[in-house]
Amino acid sequence: MNIDFRFIVTAFFEIMKALPLTLVITTVPLLIGFAIGIGTALIRLYKVKVIYKIADFYVSFLRGTPLILHIYIVYLGLPLLFDVLAEKWGWSIRSNSIPLIVFVFVAFSLNAGAYMSEIIRSGILAVNKGEIEAAYSIGMTTSQAMKRIVLPQALMISLPNLCNMFVGLLHGSSLAFSISLMELNGKANVVASTNWKFLESFIAAAVIYWGMTILAEKVTAILEKRLRMFIKGGVA
Amino acid sequence: MIRLKNIKKSFGKQMVLKGIDLTVEKGEVVVILGPSGSGKTTLLRCINFLERADSGAITIGDLSVDCHRATKKEILALRRKTAMVFQHYNLFKHKTVLENVMEGLVVVQKWPVERAKERSLQILEKVGLSQQIDMYPSQLSGGQQQRVGIARALALNPEVILFDEPTSALDPELVGEVLSVIQKIAREGITMIVVTHEMGFARDISDHVVFMDNGVVVEEGKPNEIFHAPKEERTKQFLKRITPEWRYSI
Amino acid sequence: MGKSFDLNLVFDFLPKLLSYLHITLLILVGAVLIGLLVGFLAALPRIYNIPVLRTLSAIYVSFIRGTPILIQLFLVYYGLPELLKTIQIDVTHMSSLVFVIITYGFSIGALFSEIIRAAVSAVDRGQTEAAYAIGMTPIAAFVRIVLPQALTIAFPNFANLVISYLKDTSLAFYIGVMDMTGRGQTLGTATNHFLEVYISLAIIYYAVCILLEKCFSLLETRMLRYERQFPVSQ
Repeated sequence: MNIDFRFIVTAFFEIMKALPLTLVITTVPLLIGFAIGIGTALIRLYKVKVIYKIADFYVSFLRGTPLILHIYIVYLGLPLLFDVLAEKWGWSIRSNSIPLIVFVFVAFSLNAGAYMSEIIRSGILAVNKGEIEAAYSIGMTTSQAMKRIVLPQALMISLPNLCNMFVGLLHGSSLAFSISLMELNGKANVVASTNWKFLESFIAAAVIYWGMTILAEKVTAILEKRLRMFIKGGVA
Repeated sequence: MIRLKNIKKSFGKQMVLKGIDLTVEKGEVVVILGPSGSGKTTLLRCINFLERADSGAITIGDLSVDCHRATKKEILALRRKTAMVFQHYNLFKHKTVLENVMEGLVVVQKWPVERAKERSLQILEKVGLSQQIDMYPSQLSGGQQQRVGIARALALNPEVILFDEPTSALDPELVGEVLSVIQKIAREGITMIVVTHEMGFARDISDHVVFMDNGVVVEEGKPNEIFHAPKEERTKQFLKRITPEWRYSI
Repeated sequence: MGKSFDLNLVFDFLPKLLSYLHITLLILVGAVLIGLLVGFLAALPRIYNIPVLRTLSAIYVSFIRGTPILIQLFLVYYGLPELLKTIQIDVTHMSSLVFVIITYGFSIGALFSEIIRAAVSAVDRGQTEAAYAIGMTPIAAFVRIVLPQALTIAFPNFANLVISYLKDTSLAFYIGVMDMTGRGQTLGTATNHFLEVYISLAIIYYAVCILLEKCFSLLETRMLRYERQFPVSQ
């Protein structure tokens, strides 16, 4: 077989340079998506008039369509929208001055928000209903009960899934190269085509993704173990 | 004083409460008895609006609420005058024993944390849990959990504490410790409405006994009258079926 | 890009793209079939704790779970021909469709094996004991008692996985497969109306996803009929 093993090492260090960008386009949408997710989950749970229908559709549509299309549609559609608004409100900037990474942030955040809203919603539903009643019985308002009793527990219940979301976004970020962002996969493609060593480059990229995933899983396992201390208990 | 007037409640087509009237004097301990499905628990849950009654009125102290029309604000005000001890404890799983007891004081009654802590510690001592204040509910036995539940209710100094079958989820050997705590606070003159199946306990702590069946109050009176000289046939039947147990209960 | 947005084009594109839906579904079905086989085989060593094979299976699963599907696709596309060359098989003329189906099959297989494994261990141990108690052999107990229950438990996850891979088939065009998204690319290039193409594609994927979800949930209620709860009369 014709594999240049030494080049895998060279490619590895070359591609590693793109890791910070990959981490940025993974974590920023994770955080924004988290906020969207909580908001959407609450809107859907409390069936807030009219907008819960929109929230339902948002979640179902984003979950029912490929991420690559979200990227393309945001990348092509957002500038159109932006320019229309810019004209209307007399902004001085035009869409061509929007940096590429913004499109990735928007597309990934919307995508992550839809998935996370489902995760958080099922977390909220998993909280013991009796505790909500107990919160009411001591005179808490609905929002106090949500903030102090339900959400903290719901987030802890959802934590493993939220960590999986990180891995999902990490892998999803490999699609950002489709609008020529130089993250890990983008870099791997460049290294591959400039050196005409495709297999070696993608092996190197795979090793990096794999390593990152295992790291994330380890951290999740540690967090979970700590949380289980009082979620499941076990006599101390 | 607490007064319930003509409380009605249906679940779907089934009428669970068919117009209940009940008066509880300050400092009185009222025990509600009755076969399962008689509506006792629903009645209790209507008092603090965990279930909204279809019609009727509830008065607690100076606050009167029409069940059908009650606003969020009225419900909240009513809940702040009451506290509840649940069958399944319903402790806040993510909070320690101490935090569970402090929660209502700090969040609802806006006490400063230090003072809330002081009071909570006193109350936890009263229910015999001074050693467990930093544990999480899942690390406690059922009896200990229920005592935390009682402490949580007691801390708020409510006008009435509602007990919803506080021992029926417990293993038999743990029932005693919970009942003796309830008995202890009953002697302190706290108003209580208790739904229970423990007959001996009911007879010992109650000032007034209400027997419910099928959504109506069949008979009520002093514990002596109800337990030893029930007038209604249904009460007699019920007591006959259940009495052999109560020698063992405390 | 460049031309102004035209909503009518979105609808014009729908039938053109739909005529390539069968390729997308072919990839999905092919991959799921391979995945079922591979997943089952990969799950067995871990269920029965067979040394070496168990470790290999764990590494395989970890690798698939650890890398983006697109990277897996590139690896197979560039790596498989090299690998096969060592055993004198020339696949330079093999259709890229085959590469996609193989990649996705093995990718799904890893996740299937996880689902199957979790489902088997979720079946109550007492079920196996009861089967032994009435004299069943271990194999009969597994096939007749554990497996049917495990499949029911696994089904919702299995359904989710299939749907998520349907969406992932949209990446096949990166190695030149003419599936629905691939056709979309050419349509976009030809008309210069990419945005409309992508919206059109999104509508189709969404519709197919919803349809699949409906089918799966129908199947699920049928499978769960033995757990159906009857209303408690009062």
